[in-house]
Amino acid sequence: MPKINLTVNNQSVTKEVEGRTLLVELIREGLGLTGTHIGCDTSQCGACVVHVNGQPVKSCTMLAVQADGADVLTVEGVSPDGGLSPLQQALHEHHGLQCGFCTPGMVMTATALLNDNPYPTEAEVRHGLEGNLCRCTGYQNIVEAIMAAAKEIRG
Amino acid sequence: MDDFSYQKPSTLGDAVEAFSAADDGVYLAGGQTILPVMKLGLAAPEEVIDLNGIEELQAITASDSVISIGAMATHATVAASEDVKQPLPALASLAGIIGDPQVRNRGTIGGSIANNDPAADYPAALLALGATITTDKRQIAADDFFLEIFETALEDGEIITKVDFPVPDAAAYMKFANPASRFALVGVFVARTGNSVRVAVTGAGPCVFRVGDMEAALEKDFSAAALDGITVPTDDLNADIHASAEYRGHLIGVLAKRAVEVAKENGDGQ
Amino acid sequence: MTDVSIGQAVKRAEDERFLTGQGNYIDDINLDGQARAAVLRSPHAHARINGIDASAAEAMDGVLLVITGRQWVAEGMGTLPTKTSVRKGRNDTDINEPPRHCMANDTARYIGEPVAFVVAETQEAANKALEMIDVDYEPLDAVVDPVKALAPEAPQLWNDIPNNLCIDFELGDKEGTDKAFEEADHVITLDLINNRVTAVPIETRGCVGSYDAATETYTLYNSTQNVHANREMFAVNVLGIEKEKLHHIAPDVGGGFGAKNSAYPEPPMVLHAAKKLGRPVKWINTRSDSFLGDTHGRGQTSRVQLAINNDGTFLALRTETVGGIGAYCWTIGPFTPTGGSARTQGGPYTFPTMYYRGRAVFTNTAPMDPYRGAGRPEATFQTERIIEYTARKLGLDPVEIRRKNLMPPEALPFKSPMGMEIDCGDFPLLFERTLEMAEPGAFAARAEKAIKAGRLFGFAIAPYLECTGGAPKEYAGVQFKEDGTVTLAVGTSSTGMGHETVMPQLLAARLGIDYERIQFTQADTDATPIGGGHGGSRGMEVGGNAVAQAADEIVEKAIPLAAHLLQSEATKVTFGDGSFSDTASGASVAMAEVIEASMDPDRLPDGQEPGALDTGSTFERGIISIPNGCHAATVEVDPETGAIQLTGYWVMDDFGTVINPLLADGQVMGGVAQGIGQALTENIIYDESGQLITGSLMDYGLPRADVIPNMEIEYYEGAPTKKNPLGVKGAGEAGCVGALPAVVNAVLDALKDHGVVHLEMPLTPESVWRAIRDKGAFDPEGLMSDVL
Repeated sequence: MPKINLTVNNQSVTKEVEGRTLLVELIREGLGLTGTHIGCDTSQCGACVVHVNGQPVKSCTMLAVQADGADVLTVEGVSPDGGLSPLQQALHEHHGLQCGFCTPGMVMTATALLNDNPYPTEAEVRHGLEGNLCRCTGYQNIVEAIMAAAKEIRG
Repeated sequence: MDDFSYQKPSTLGDAVEAFSAADDGVYLAGGQTILPVMKLGLAAPEEVIDLNGIEELQAITASDSVISIGAMATHATVAASEDVKQPLPALASLAGIIGDPQVRNRGTIGGSIANNDPAADYPAALLALGATITTDKRQIAADDFFLEIFETALEDGEIITKVDFPVPDAAAYMKFANPASRFALVGVFVARTGNSVRVAVTGAGPCVFRVGDMEAALEKDFSAAALDGITVPTDDLNADIHASAEYRGHLIGVLAKRAVEVAKENGDGQ
Repeated sequence: MTDVSIGQAVKRAEDERFLTGQGNYIDDINLDGQARAAVLRSPHAHARINGIDASAAEAMDGVLLVITGRQWVAEGMGTLPTKTSVRKGRNDTDINEPPRHCMANDTARYIGEPVAFVVAETQEAANKALEMIDVDYEPLDAVVDPVKALAPEAPQLWNDIPNNLCIDFELGDKEGTDKAFEEADHVITLDLINNRVTAVPIETRGCVGSYDAATETYTLYNSTQNVHANREMFAVNVLGIEKEKLHHIAPDVGGGFGAKNSAYPEPPMVLHAAKKLGRPVKWINTRSDSFLGDTHGRGQTSRVQLAINNDGTFLALRTETVGGIGAYCWTIGPFTPTGGSARTQGGPYTFPTMYYRGRAVFTNTAPMDPYRGAGRPEATFQTERIIEYTARKLGLDPVEIRRKNLMPPEALPFKSPMGMEIDCGDFPLLFERTLEMAEPGAFAARAEKAIKAGRLFGFAIAPYLECTGGAPKEYAGVQFKEDGTVTLAVGTSSTGMGHETVMPQLLAARLGIDYERIQFTQADTDATPIGGGHGGSRGMEVGGNAVAQAADEIVEKAIPLAAHLLQSEATKVTFGDGSFSDTASGASVAMAEVIEASMDPDRLPDGQEPGALDTGSTFERGIISIPNGCHAATVEVDPETGAIQLTGYWVMDDFGTVINPLLADGQVMGGVAQGIGQALTENIIYDESGQLITGSLMDYGLPRADVIPNMEIEYYEGAPTKKNPLGVKGAGEAGCVGALPAVVNAVLDALKDHGVVHLEMPLTPESVWRAIRDKGAFDPEGLMSDVL
C-alpha cells in the first residue's frame, strides 16, 4: 500500500492508503475531517472542493496518492485560530447558506477565487461558482457575500 | 472502485516502460475523465501510471509562429498563460470554459485529446488550428489524430508529450453548452491563416470534424454572411435528450458565423 | 445580553458550524461496530420476480445478511400506509391503495424499487454482494405516462386496480361551471404539462440504525424531515412494535424540499438488520439511486379552460388533471394532483365558479410525494398560463386582464369556490407594487437595446395565491436551567430554513430574555412528545405559534411570582417589554430575574416548587392561511439559438407577520431558483420502457449561479392573518409557486411576434428555436383528448 506524506491544514500527515483511495475518502475517513462533503457521484456538485497546493479541486475526483507531497487545505483549516475568515463572515452576514451542505465547497471555491482575483465582477463570481451546486439559496446571497468579502479583504 | 497498483514515474521512459510491463494499465493525467469512469465501475485497470510527475510534460513555450503546450498542462494553466493569451487568445479562452474551475485545475490537454470525447472542446481547436501532436514515438497531424468516438491514432501505451499550435491570423471558438454537464452540445472553432481557413466542429458528431463547404466559402470571403445557406448534413450528427441532430446542425451554422465575427473583431489573434 | 425582536433580521446561530465544517450530517455519524448496507434495486420498470438466489452473495467474505423481498414479508414485516387526506373520489368511490412493502416481493414496479437488502462489514463488500444476487426477472410492459396509463390497453400495475386509477377526485361546482361555460362569450382551452422534476437536496438520504436488546429499543439517526410521523409508520406499521420503542432523530439535514418527508423503505430495513445482527447498520444513498428512488414532484398533464366575457371579465375556470404518482400511493402521493392542486385554483382572481378534477394514476416510475409547493405551483401555473394564453388569443393586454380580475380587498374575506377561506390581503396593491418594482416604463428602451443585440425582450407578471398545510399541531417545550441557559424544543424540522435561529428569536423577543442563552432542539422524538415535522410551510405558522403560545403561558405562570417579588398582587402586575410592572407603584422586575427566582427555593413563595415556569405547550392551527403575492420577470431570448436569459426578477410577498426577513428572503430566493430550474433546465425523463434517462447531474440540469438572476424582494405586512395569533402566513414554498408562470410567460412574451403562444417546460433552447421556426404551431387540445 502506498505511503503518502502531505500537509493537511498545516499539519504533517503520513498515511498508508490504497491506490484507489480518493482524496475525499482520506480526508473524511482517514483523517476524520468531515467538513468536506460528498453530494454526487459524477463530479458535478462541488460539495467536496478542497485546496491542493492552493488550487480548488474536487477531492472526489482525485486520488489520495496524487496528493503525496502536497499542501491540502480543507474547510476546517480556513480559519484555524477560531473565528471566521472574511469570506466566512460575509456568508454569515449575507445569509449565504441555509442547510450548509454545499457550504464547505463554496467556502473553498470562493476563498481561492478571491485569492486569484481580488476585484471580481459579479459575472466573474457567478461563473466562478459553476462547479458548485446549491439547492437552497438561489446563489444570490452567496454572490453578494463574495463581493462583500472582496471589498473587505481589499480594505 | 477496484484497487490497482499505482506508480508515478518521473521520466517519460519510465512511464512507457511501466505501461508495457503492466497487465492492464492506464495512464493517469488529470483524472477528470478516468476517475469518474473508474468510480462508476466502467473501467477497472490493474495498474495506474500517473504522469503528473514528469516535469517535461508541463512546459508551455511560445515563439512567433508556434505555441507549444505540454501534454500535462492543465486547462487552468493554459487559460492563464500569457504565452497563450497573447498570440492565441481563442485557445486560452477555450481552455477557460472547459468544465468548471475545479475541473480546469486538474484536467489536461493531453488527457482530453487522448480520450477524444465527442463533446470535448480541445479537439475542435487542434483540428481548426492544424495542430501537431508529439508523442514519445512520433508526430501526428491533428487531421490524422482524431479517428472515431473515444478513439485516436495513438497506439497502446503511446504517450502524448506536447501539442504544437501554429499561430493563426485570426481565430475564435464559440461553444453552446449542455446546461447539465456543461460539455459542448456544439462547439465551433474557426481559424484563418493567410488565405487558408479551417472550421472544426465538436459536440455535434461522434468525433470532431471539419466543414469543407464552410472553409471554402470563408476562404473566398471571411465573413459571417459568406456562410449563409451552408448547412451540414444531419444524418450523422448526435441526437439525445439535450439536442436533436437537426438542432445541432442548425447550431453549427449559427456558431460558425458568430465565431467568424469574433475572429474578425479580434483580428490578428490580438 | 442579546436583545432581539420580531421582524428583526437576526443572523443565524447555525452558521458557525456549517461555515467551519463542523456540521453533523448523517454520513458524519458513525457508531462503534457498525456494518454497512446496500440496496439491490430493480433494473426493470416492470417485471415479475420469479425467484431470487442470494446464496452466492451470502457466502461472500464480509457479508453478514441478505434479505430478499419475500423473506421480508415472511418475517412478518408490515406495509407502509398512505396518509393522504383525500380518500374519496367522484361518485363516492374509495381510493385504491395497493400494499406497499419496503421491498418488492413478486413484482417490481419501477426501476429503482428495492428488491433485496445486503449488510456487510464494509461498503465495498455490500456493494459487491449486490452484484452476486441472482434475480430471475420476467420483464413486463411498462407505462410511464399517466395519460397513457389510463388507456384500456395500458399495462396494468395492479390486478385489482383497473386502468391504473388510484383516485378520481373533483372539487368545486361542476354544474355552475358548465353553465358558465355555455353562456360565456369565449371559452379558451389549453392542454399543458407541469413537468416531472426531483428535489435533489445536495445531501442524499441516509440513516444509521441500532438496537439495544436490553431495553428492546431501536435508535434511528435519519436524514429526514419528519421524525414523529415516520417513527410511527416504521415502528407500528412495519416492525410491529410500539412507537415508544423507536427513538428517531434527525441530525443536521442537508436540504429536503419535501423529498425527505416521506416514509421511505430503507430505514425499517436498516433497523431490522441492526436487530438481527446485534450491531448498528449504516446506509447512505448514492446520488444515482437518489434519482431512481427519491420521491419526484409535479408531473401533471392538464386541460385548463377559461370562460371569459367580451369585456374581459372572468366567468369560470375549469381544470382537469391527470397526475402520475408512481407505482404506489407513497406517503401523501395521491394528494398532490387531487386536493393539493385543487385548492388554490383561480389564484387571487374573482372567479364566480370553478371546477377541478384530478386523477391520480399509477405509473411504472419513481414515487411522487410533495415537492416544494405540492400542487400549488401546479395550480398557479395552470391559472396563470390560461390567463396569458387567453390574452394572446383574444388580443387583450396580459397586465390589464389580470388587473381587471384581481379580487379587490373589499371582497375579502371570501370563501373561494374551492373552499379556501381567503381572509385578508391586498392583491391589487401587491400587483401594482410589483409592476412598479419592475419599472415597465423602461421596458421599451430595454427591448430596443435587446433587439439591437439580436435578442428578444419579454416580460411577465404572475400574481399567485398560496395556502399552507402540513400537520396542524405542534409542541414547544421550554426549560429554564440553573446556569441561565434556556432549552427550547420544538417538533418542527428545519433543513436549512433557520429554525435554530428564528425559534429562539421568537421566544427571546416574547419573553424579553437573552437570545444567546437559548439552546434549540428539534427533530428528536425524545425531545418533544409530538411533532409535525416539515411540510406545508408550517414552520412559523404552526411551530412559531407553538413557541409564542409557550411564551405566553410562561408569562401567565410568572405573574404570581413576579407579584411576590414585587410585594404586590397578581392583579396589579402587568407584563410588557421583558419586564413585570406593578401598575400601582411602578416598580418592576425583569423576566430574567423572575426566571432566576423561579429556580431558587429561597425566593419562591411558600409551597411553590422550583422549576414551575418550565412549560410544554401544544398549539393547534385552526385553519390554514393564505400567503399570496406577485412575481415578475424579464427575459432576453436569442432567437437564433433559443437560449434564454433571465435579466430581472421581482417579488412582492404577503406572508403576514414576517418574523425574520433575512430568513424569509432566503426561502423566497431558494423557491424561485427551484421554479426557474423547472421552467428552464430540469426534467425527469423516462423512456418508453421505463428506464430513467436523466439519472445523474450530467443529464438533470440543476441551475447554477450563472442562470439565476438577482431578485428584488419586498414584503407587505399590512394584512397579518387572524387565523393564528402571530398573524403568520407560511412562507417556505411561495417562491416556487410564483416562479413557473413568471418565467414561462415572460419567455412567451418575448416570442409573441413569432406567433408562439405556448411552450412546455422545460423551455430548452431547442424547444424555443423550434417554436420560432414552426411559428408557434401546436395543438392546444393535443394532450388530454383521449382521457376526457
